[in-house]
Amino acid sequence: MFYLVTFTLIYLVVTVYLGYLGYRRTTTVSDYLLAGRQVHPLTMALSYGSTYVSTAAIIGFGGVSALYGFSMSWLAFLNIMIGVWVAFVVFGKRTRKMGKALDAHTFPELLGRRYNSRFIQGFSGLVIFVFMPVYTAAILIGIARFIEVYMNIPFTTALLGFLLITACYVLWGGLKGILYTSVFQGIIMIVSMIIIGITTYVMAGGVVNAHKALTELAPLVPQALKEIGHRGFTSMPAAGSSLWWFIITTMIMGVGIGVLGQPQLNVRFMTLKSDRDLNRSIPFTALFILFTTGIAFAVGALTNVVFYNTYTELSIQSVQGNVDKIIPLYVDRFYPQWFVALFLVTLMAAAMSASSAQFLATGSSLSRDILEQALLRGRSVAETTIVTRIGIVFGIFATLIIGLLLPEGVVAVATAFFFGLCGATFIPSYLFALYWKGGTKTGAKASIVCGLFLSLLWMLFFHEYESKAIGLCRWIFKCDTLAGLPWNMIDPQVIALPVSFLVFLFVSLLTSPVEEETVRKAFKHI
Amino acid sequence: MLGFPDFWIFSGYVLTILSALFCLVYGVIRWRRGVEEKDGDYREEIKWEKEEIELIEKLP
Repeated sequence: MFYLVTFTLIYLVVTVYLGYLGYRRTTTVSDYLLAGRQVHPLTMALSYGSTYVSTAAIIGFGGVSALYGFSMSWLAFLNIMIGVWVAFVVFGKRTRKMGKALDAHTFPELLGRRYNSRFIQGFSGLVIFVFMPVYTAAILIGIARFIEVYMNIPFTTALLGFLLITACYVLWGGLKGILYTSVFQGIIMIVSMIIIGITTYVMAGGVVNAHKALTELAPLVPQALKEIGHRGFTSMPAAGSSLWWFIITTMIMGVGIGVLGQPQLNVRFMTLKSDRDLNRSIPFTALFILFTTGIAFAVGALTNVVFYNTYTELSIQSVQGNVDKIIPLYVDRFYPQWFVALFLVTLMAAAMSASSAQFLATGSSLSRDILEQALLRGRSVAETTIVTRIGIVFGIFATLIIGLLLPEGVVAVATAFFFGLCGATFIPSYLFALYWKGGTKTGAKASIVCGLFLSLLWMLFFHEYESKAIGLCRWIFKCDTLAGLPWNMIDPQVIALPVSFLVFLFVSLLTSPVEEETVRKAFKHI
Repeated sequence: MLGFPDFWIFSGYVLTILSALFCLVYGVIRWRRGVEEKDGDYREEIKWEKEEIELIEKLP
């Protein structure tokens, strides 16, 4: 308890001080939303990485790896190749230049100004404002569960307290506050994850021996998992089985590709001064992702070896099926108290850095995108920063309520839901905004609306995981899903994203292009 | 194959490490590139800043 209290207090004091520093250095809207567009490459790398990698990745996906094994390493690969290289090089460079040319402050504002459409900005803002709290809640559930176990603080109190601390520095510090704290939080995450990665491999007998030991545990996989295609922790699920479709389309592709449509990450490219700074951020961000998600997924799978060697049971059996508890329990059982305290601080850091950026994205969607552009048609009734703060407060309340309502073991799935939804909704119009001058306003509108509603429709009536949990399909059609295998296991994004792309292309070819002046301005620096 | 019996798992594991190395090399090779913006970018900004300073100086 001594370590827990000391580490937590030191962490909180430094975080609040850095948030205060952000507040002192924020004077304009550009400072508040984009940190004045002058962010250092290393700051960018650490803050991008720590926003991208949250407790959902460490606790949620770490736990999922314990259940499904090393097949999740494909997600780590996509996290680096698509989430870093493609995001920075293919999307980031042009986003930065176009954002500057159009004086965009938020991701919906970039799309809205590029296509010269208030509807696009307002509607995109609304999507973020409504659905972002689900993802934020998933992240905070992870940390609140951990605090509940280790500090004996009730889940609701832990969730509320955590929200309040995060709210403080986001409300006053804006993006500068978030960046300063993210760097500190990112460093803690890297150190702690490297320690846990090395020690886990040592405990499991070294790299090759650990993998071999995990392979030998295949016969112990629960029968229910074997029936849906599980073939062991070091083998991919049986091709075409329901588990294979779930792992490939929801866990790997849903999150791996959906990252490109994440508004709280895309906005970061607009904070950099030049392409040189962006190039310099790439290696640091890639290493950050490797050392955090890469290690988390490997450790998750290897917990089975360590648990089996000590208790002769798999890690999933030790937590009675709640995958979100595997990593916390593993750290508690096999590490000294000081490391448990450091790991708790790491999780707090991961949760705070990701959720703070999400609160800012939620708040700025309300102020800049929904209110100023869609409802007031460009007029402003109050300062953007004030309305953004009101939006953040709303986001915090919504997150609290959703956090209390979501069921157990839902962290990874809720994350995949939001990544998939954003991917199908935003990626086509975002990519074409940057690369195709012929893309039209109507094409972008149709693609965004189609991507969103097709995703939601697929979730409500076809994708069994969500349709069963929501229950609307059963209420209307008296069954859990309207489709059989494999369609009931295919992630909504895999269906909605290609359709959304085709809709954009098809409608753009039939409708009139965006005004020449707008296009010329948008591509001024490209 | 690093103790993995399945080629696809081995590939995913190795590709994760290789992709990070690729990003590292990419960033190092382009460490000094991209400092110059397309013509007109900074010039316009500097011009705007100068006008702003002049306006402020003219204020009573």
